[in-house]
Amino acid sequence: MAEKYYTEALVDALRQEMLRDESVVVMGLDIKPSIWGTTRGLYAEFGPQRFISTPVCEGSYTMAGIGAAMTGLRPVVELLFSEYACLAAEPIANVAGMWPYVSNGGYKIPMVVQTFAGARGHGAYAHSQSTQAIFLNTPGIKMVIPSTPADAKGLLASAIRDDSPVLIYHSRLLLTMTGEVPEGEHLVPIGKGVVRKPGKDATVVSFGNMLYRSLEAAARLEKEGISAEVIDLRTIIPLDEELIATSMEKTSRLVIVEDGRKRGGIGSEVAAVVSEKYFDLLDAPILRVAALNTAVPFSAPLEKAHFPQVEDIMAAVKKTLE
Amino acid sequence: MVDTQFELTKDEALDLYFKMVLTRYTENKHEELFQKQKVPVYTHLGTGQEAVGCGVSFLLTKDDYLIGTHRGVAEVVGKGMSIKDIFLEYGGRGNSISGGRAGLHLHNPKIGILPLLGGLGTDFSLAVGAGLTIRNQKRDNVVVDYFGEGAAEQADFHPAMNMAMLYKVPVLFCCCTNQFVEYHPYRETTCTADVAPRAAGYGMPWKIVEDGNDLFAVGRAMKEAIAHARSGKGAYFLEFKTYRLAPHHTADQCLYRDKKECDEAGKKDPLPRAAKGLLERKWATEAELKKLTEQCLAMIDEAVQTLEASGMPDPATVMNHAVAG
Repeated sequence: MAEKYYTEALVDALRQEMLRDESVVVMGLDIKPSIWGTTRGLYAEFGPQRFISTPVCEGSYTMAGIGAAMTGLRPVVELLFSEYACLAAEPIANVAGMWPYVSNGGYKIPMVVQTFAGARGHGAYAHSQSTQAIFLNTPGIKMVIPSTPADAKGLLASAIRDDSPVLIYHSRLLLTMTGEVPEGEHLVPIGKGVVRKPGKDATVVSFGNMLYRSLEAAARLEKEGISAEVIDLRTIIPLDEELIATSMEKTSRLVIVEDGRKRGGIGSEVAAVVSEKYFDLLDAPILRVAALNTAVPFSAPLEKAHFPQVEDIMAAVKKTLE
Repeated sequence: MVDTQFELTKDEALDLYFKMVLTRYTENKHEELFQKQKVPVYTHLGTGQEAVGCGVSFLLTKDDYLIGTHRGVAEVVGKGMSIKDIFLEYGGRGNSISGGRAGLHLHNPKIGILPLLGGLGTDFSLAVGAGLTIRNQKRDNVVVDYFGEGAAEQADFHPAMNMAMLYKVPVLFCCCTNQFVEYHPYRETTCTADVAPRAAGYGMPWKIVEDGNDLFAVGRAMKEAIAHARSGKGAYFLEFKTYRLAPHHTADQCLYRDKKECDEAGKKDPLPRAAKGLLERKWATEAELKKLTEQCLAMIDEAVQTLEASGMPDPATVMNHAVAG
C-alpha cells in the first residue's frame, strides 16, 4: 500500500493494463498534457500508436473507439467533461449499447469511456454536471462511479478487462484526494457495492463525491443518536440490489443521495427497483436527495444551493424516521 | 502510354459481373418477398448502382473491413455475404447471423462486414477505428467505408477524414453519388455538385469516377485505391457518379423527380453495359453470360427455400448477450 492521489491510482491501472495487454489503447483530447492527470507520463512510455491523442471531436473519436473495439483493440476513451458524453451519445447509446446484442454476440465492444462529473466550483452549467442519468436507459452498457483512489484503480482495471462497454464517471472533486492504493495488480469487481459505515436506523445509498457528504451527515446524526448505514454503490449498472436489501432488512428506511438532477436520476431508478422488489422492507417513503432540476449556476452561493448539502441529507434521514 | 496496371483482369471482371447480376435479382426477389409478406422489411432498392456497390467491395478479402449502406445488397454481396444469410436476416429468422435482431442492418463478423448503423453518416469514424486496429496490428488490410452523398452531409464526415489522415489509417472513403438524398434531389440538400474535392481539405488523395455505371472504370479505380492503402500510404477518397433508378423505398412515389430524366438514366443501366463490355473483350459468350444468370437465379431460389424452411427465433433467446441490470 502507498498513499496516492486518485489520479495517480488511475494512471497505475491504465499502465498496468497497457503492460499486460498490448491491445489496450488510450484515446482522447488533451491526454498528452493530461489536464486531469489521469494519463500523465504514459505517452512517453507507450508512444503514439497506443496513446492516441485526438482532435476536438468527442462524438467522432468515441465512435472511432468503438470501431477499434469491434475489430480487436481495447480502447480507453477519455472525455474531459461529463457534459461531452452528450456529444458522444450517438456512439454510446446507439452503437456501443446496441451492437453486441444486435449482432448476437458477434461484435463485442470492450471499450471504456472515462469521464469526469460533478462540480469543483465555478464550472457553471458546462463543467459541473453529472450526466450519468442520461445513460441509465441505454441497454448493453455498465456504469461505474468510484469514490476512493483504491477503487478508482481497481474498477478501471476491471472495466478494461470487461468485454462490455463500461462508462466510468469520476467525481471531479475527488481527483485531488489521496488514499491508500494497493501496489501491483488490483481489481475491484464491477457490480459490487460496499458498506462504508454501518448503522441500524436508516440506509443512505450514495456514490462518488456524495459519499463523503453522506458520511459526514451520518457522523453528525450519530451525535444526535441516529444511526445511519452508508452504502457506496461503486457500480450503478448492474446495481447491487442485494447489498441495499440486506441493509434495509435492518433499517427499513432508504435515502438516496446523488449530485445529479432529481428527475429521472439514479435515485429514481434505485427507488423504483426497491419499491418493486422490496416493498415489504419499507417502513417509510423512500427519499431522494439530489441536485435541483436546473442548470448548474456559476456563482458560489447559487452553486451551493443547487447541490445537496450535508444538512439536506440529515433532514431526509430524520424525515424517514418521523 | 496508358497505365494498365490497374485494369481488371478477365477473372476479376467476370467475378464483378456475377455479383452485380446476383445483386439485381436478389433485390428484386427481396421486393417480391416483401410484397407477398414473406419478409416483414421493405426494400431500399439499389437498381442501377450495382457496378458501384459490388465494385467497391469485390476485391476485398475477409480480413478487410466493409461498412455498407441501407440501399440494396450490392456491397455485401461483393464482400461475399451469402444470399441465404441476407434473406434469413430480412426474415428475422432464428438461424440468421444476428439470431433475428438486426433486420435491415446487415453485418457479418466472420467476413469483416462491420455493422450497418442506423443513423445515416454516423459510421465514418467507425471506419477510422477499424483502421486503427489494422495499423496497430501491423496488417496490410483496408477498410472500405461505402456511403451516399447524402450521408456525407452528416457532421461525423469531416472529423473522420481528419483523423484518417492524422493517423494515416487505410480507410477508403467510397461515395456513391446517386443524385438523390432520400426524398430530395441532391442539389436541394448540398451546395456543391461533387463530394470528393472535400478530401483535398484534409490532404487526402481523391478521384471522381464520372461513369460509375461502367464496371471497368469502377474496378480500375478501386484497384488503384486499394493498392494505395495496402502499401501503407493511408486513406483515399473515391466518388462514383451514378443514378438511383429506384425510389427511396417501396412505398415512395418519387414525386420529386422528373420521369423523363429517370428514363434517360435507365438507358445507362450498368448491367447490359457490363455484358456488352465482356462480350466485346471476348471474355465471355452470350451462352456463358446466360448460364451465369441462371446460376444466380438458382442461388436465390435456394436461399428462398432456406428462408421458408427456417423457424422464427425462440422468445427464450431474447436476453442472450444482454448486459444484466
